[in-house]
Amino acid sequence: MKYAPPFQCTNGFLPVLVAFIALALIPLFLTETYARHTLILVFVYAILASNWDISLGLGGIVNFAHLAFFAIGLYSFGIFGKVLGIDPWIALLLSPLLAVAFAALLAIPILRLEGIYVILVTIAAAQLLLQIVVSQSDYTGGTSGMVLLPRLEIFGYKLSKDNRIGYYYLALALLTFSTFFLYKLQRSSLGRAIKALRDNKYYAIARGVSEGRLRLYTLCASALFPGLAGGFYGAYLRVASPDVFGLGFLTITLSILLLGGLSTIWGSLIAAFVITILAQVLGDYGAWRSIIIALVIIAVVVVYPGGLFAAVQEGWGAFNRFRTDARASWRRSRGADMRKAVMGARDRLVETRHGKISVCESGQGDEAILFIHGNSSCKEVFRHQFAEFGKDHRVVAFDLPGHGVSPNADPEEDYSIEAYSEIACDIVEKLGLGKPIVFGWSLGGYVALEYAARGYPSSAVAICGTSPVGKFPEDMPRGYIATPHMELAGKRFHSPHEKANYAAHTIGMEKGGEPLVWQAVWRTDGLAREQAFSKLKTCNWPRQVRMLKDGKIPFAMINGPKDPFINHEYCRTFGYGNIWGGEPQNVAEAGHAPFLEDHETFNRMLRDFLTWTKGPARAD
Amino acid sequence: MISVDTFLFVLASGVLLGGLYALMATGLAVVWTTLGVFNFAHGVFVALGAYIAWQVTQSVTGSVGYLLGAALSVVLMFGVGFVLHYVLVKPFERNANLVLLAVITTLAAASIIENGILLVWGARDKQIAPPISGTVGLMGAEISANDVMILMVALLALLVLAIFLRRTAMGRAMRAVAQNREAAELMGLNVSRLYAMTIGLSAATAALAGVFIGSVRFISPTFGSDPLMKSLIVVILGGVARFTSPILAAFIVGIAESFSVYFLGLYWAPAVLFAMMIAVLLIKPEGLFGHRSKTL
Amino acid sequence: MSEALLELRDLSGGYPPVSVFRGVSMSVGEQESVGLFGPNGHGKTTLLKTVAGLIDPWEGDVVFQGRRLNAEGKMRPRISRNFNYDLFQKRRIRAATVVEAGVIYVMQGNLLFPEMTVEEVLGVAPLAAKGRSGVREMRERVHHLFPRLQERRFSKIRYLSGGERQMVSIAVGLLALPKLLILDEPTLGLSPKLRLELMQAVRQIRESRVPLIIVDQNIEFLSGLVDRLLLFDHGAITREIDAASMPSHDEAMAMMFGESH
Repeated sequence: MKYAPPFQCTNGFLPVLVAFIALALIPLFLTETYARHTLILVFVYAILASNWDISLGLGGIVNFAHLAFFAIGLYSFGIFGKVLGIDPWIALLLSPLLAVAFAALLAIPILRLEGIYVILVTIAAAQLLLQIVVSQSDYTGGTSGMVLLPRLEIFGYKLSKDNRIGYYYLALALLTFSTFFLYKLQRSSLGRAIKALRDNKYYAIARGVSEGRLRLYTLCASALFPGLAGGFYGAYLRVASPDVFGLGFLTITLSILLLGGLSTIWGSLIAAFVITILAQVLGDYGAWRSIIIALVIIAVVVVYPGGLFAAVQEGWGAFNRFRTDARASWRRSRGADMRKAVMGARDRLVETRHGKISVCESGQGDEAILFIHGNSSCKEVFRHQFAEFGKDHRVVAFDLPGHGVSPNADPEEDYSIEAYSEIACDIVEKLGLGKPIVFGWSLGGYVALEYAARGYPSSAVAICGTSPVGKFPEDMPRGYIATPHMELAGKRFHSPHEKANYAAHTIGMEKGGEPLVWQAVWRTDGLAREQAFSKLKTCNWPRQVRMLKDGKIPFAMINGPKDPFINHEYCRTFGYGNIWGGEPQNVAEAGHAPFLEDHETFNRMLRDFLTWTKGPARAD
Repeated sequence: MISVDTFLFVLASGVLLGGLYALMATGLAVVWTTLGVFNFAHGVFVALGAYIAWQVTQSVTGSVGYLLGAALSVVLMFGVGFVLHYVLVKPFERNANLVLLAVITTLAAASIIENGILLVWGARDKQIAPPISGTVGLMGAEISANDVMILMVALLALLVLAIFLRRTAMGRAMRAVAQNREAAELMGLNVSRLYAMTIGLSAATAALAGVFIGSVRFISPTFGSDPLMKSLIVVILGGVARFTSPILAAFIVGIAESFSVYFLGLYWAPAVLFAMMIAVLLIKPEGLFGHRSKTL
Repeated sequence: MSEALLELRDLSGGYPPVSVFRGVSMSVGEQESVGLFGPNGHGKTTLLKTVAGLIDPWEGDVVFQGRRLNAEGKMRPRISRNFNYDLFQKRRIRAATVVEAGVIYVMQGNLLFPEMTVEEVLGVAPLAAKGRSGVREMRERVHHLFPRLQERRFSKIRYLSGGERQMVSIAVGLLALPKLLILDEPTLGLSPKLRLELMQAVRQIRESRVPLIIVDQNIEFLSGLVDRLLLFDHGAITREIDAASMPSHDEAMAMMFGESH
């Protein structure tokens, strides 16, 4: 299952809304014709470049005949409108149809071609088209082009009046529709199939994706709006010339696409402003203009191939890391009393090999219990266990790096199950916990398993809301039920909406959640989520399975039957060497976090497990 | 329908075109087979080569100027190609998207050089004075002696290139790098330099072609794009299975072009060639002469 | 053991971000021959490619005859994946340096240069020796070792059988006048007859006292050939066995995976 929230729930909603409103209001302040003309060109280029991304970025089809779609739109508007004398509005609507038809035709030769051959055929096709246009001078005006194309009017109001305000809004509307279309396409099953074909061709084909048909759809989809934009361009400038086949036009559009970044819609929209305005500013410098634009292209491709959109995302990522870290350090001092009230003890920073970690220790007794929380959570979720087991045990919980009030850490080194288990080991050693009982929840469950599998000191292991994994990644879809939550768990940037959802679902609520968990999600370093998930593949899973199967360490699994994420049947039949009660145990009526949702029952069960580990019965 | 004289004349001009195309297409093919990259700046290499030679002939007249110009142009363009490798291809030689990225950077470089020529030499058409005048009679048809010389020298240059690649240690090392980069690295060959030399050689042949074209046609800053398209067609048509494949294809394209110009007119001739190219790509993408392998 | 010729010190590497081998330390002495045995897919070839300079090491050093072949320090982590790091980061080890030092790596299942003839390939090979003397004698030896190549000297490599290609690969390695030869699975996927022929050739190379690192799946073959055997699994050398106590295949597997592998 693919997680695709509605647009208004994503991080992009607000900036896009602001940008759209700004563009809609700008002409009220910007009245000079030239400025509006520049913006209209920006919109046209943005449409061209962002739609090129369908074939080039999304589909991986290097179609160098993209601008021919635009040219066809332009010339068909000219021929329909001027030569055949059809109403310009109808001619405008016909132009994308012809462009799509040409795209379908173009798809035939490149159905089965690869790489450079696609580039060559598309270049040849564009050149062929150019030669035809030039040779048919009776209809197309030959090398000098067509002039005085019909203009657009609404009930006698010429769109060019009032400093082209009509054309401005028409172009903006086209861009809006085009962007909406791209957004929907990218998230549709068609868009995903196109991407799958690009990323892993043979896998996609084996899964029943038809390569030829998809390439056809990809090209047709990428021709629709450029064709329309071509028609618009003809009506706006009232000229159709073969210049649109030229290298200059291609270079500008390509530089917009590259500067913006491939495979993003928004990148080319941003870059269209930068490049078009640059090109207009440099307009007086003739040859220098082309040279500077070409240098920009080379510089971007050579130095920063990610493009502008990647830069925006990196900036956003850096800001988020700063924000989460600042939040953690602020709360470390300000929220200490509140956390003490909840946990019964003040937390402190402990130095480990993966940086400083906030640890809370309470209670007294001979034995220690170490609690490890899950993804995007915090140690305070174990407050009920601290209250209960603190009576006769040393209870210890810590915030994983990038979580709770622990500071952010190095994404490469410190955000992985292995690193987390090493942190746990260091804490056990620093605090002198001896051989603790280790309890891990969700992602923390894997940390607990890894901890035990590495032979770090422990007397028993219990996990909750975790499916043991034998083979990665094959066992992930078996052990878990596919839900949007799974996508969110490894996602770097959450929108506010997603944060709220995540916080609620992890503790078994429909919405809302409790403030502590909700705050923890807000605080979590997005890189911790992303890295921990992407590094799952480097974990030594067979070692964990060997540890579970040889049964030298007493083991318990205490789940909530209503846990929406894990596959209970899979957990039951996994096969354990020494599991308490012979199989995973359930806390009736609880979800993913039974220790929080129904803490009394959970605590009773955990205590039973502790008794069992000491009793003679453990050998069975 | 067509007299023998005219037929021979059209054929001869086709063969001349073929010789020029062979020179350009071989340069393109050598880069393609070695680096796996299509050099879209090849056309402006032709143009720049022609302009350099033209500049020399402005100060040194006569056939001495022509020879000097051609030699200087070939040497300088070798240097330009050599350097451009480090700017345009080397930065992402390990990138999986090398093919696309190189298309983009070489296109951009083409734009830079083309506009650079415009800035330096202006937009006015120019022509390099042919070093020899007069005609040669061939079965009744009068053929320009300059054309015959061009054809001879072009073929000779190709022969020298072929011998260089087959017989010299450097040439063999270049072929080795082309066929298996990793194994060549393990033999201690300097891959980057050999790549750069390949592009340099290709630029040098382009320059030579530019000098020749400059003496039979007018040169302008944008005149490289037509030879580029033609060499693309030639390389696709012939494939790159052997050193000779693009050469044979060049003569086919040259003759086909010259006849379709005669029969169909100037505007339709390119359309015929592009249609031919698309047809070959559809039916036999590896080219008319050869199997699916790339070599030199 | 005499003084170390090649020494790997805490070498780690892989294909970023996937780490393939970690903390590998080993040494090869003068005139010594070392076998590397381990299951497929555990990083032997990646390790050797790193030593040969095809892949950058992440950490640790490759030292040959007391000279460090790689750049100093650790590989810097990539902060941004959008930058073109090939531009900013210099290679940490270069094949040319390694070859120049005299460490020659013979790749496994190597196609070499498919469109060149055997003679041409053997003609290019001494380029790696960089003008050191002894190429002529080595050429004699190679002719003697692989008479079959003499017969096929005008064939293109792509028309050769797998075994003949392997012979060319080893011959190319030898013509570079190795001070240390690394053979990566020289008998992989060959017919029994050719396999025997190649094994014989490798033994002869060994007898000529060329120091060797050799990887093979056939532990009996290795036992007769090497002074020491290193077991390599999960990206690390897990055990070192000397010639006196060579295990059988099953024993070696058991050492690496426990009784039930």
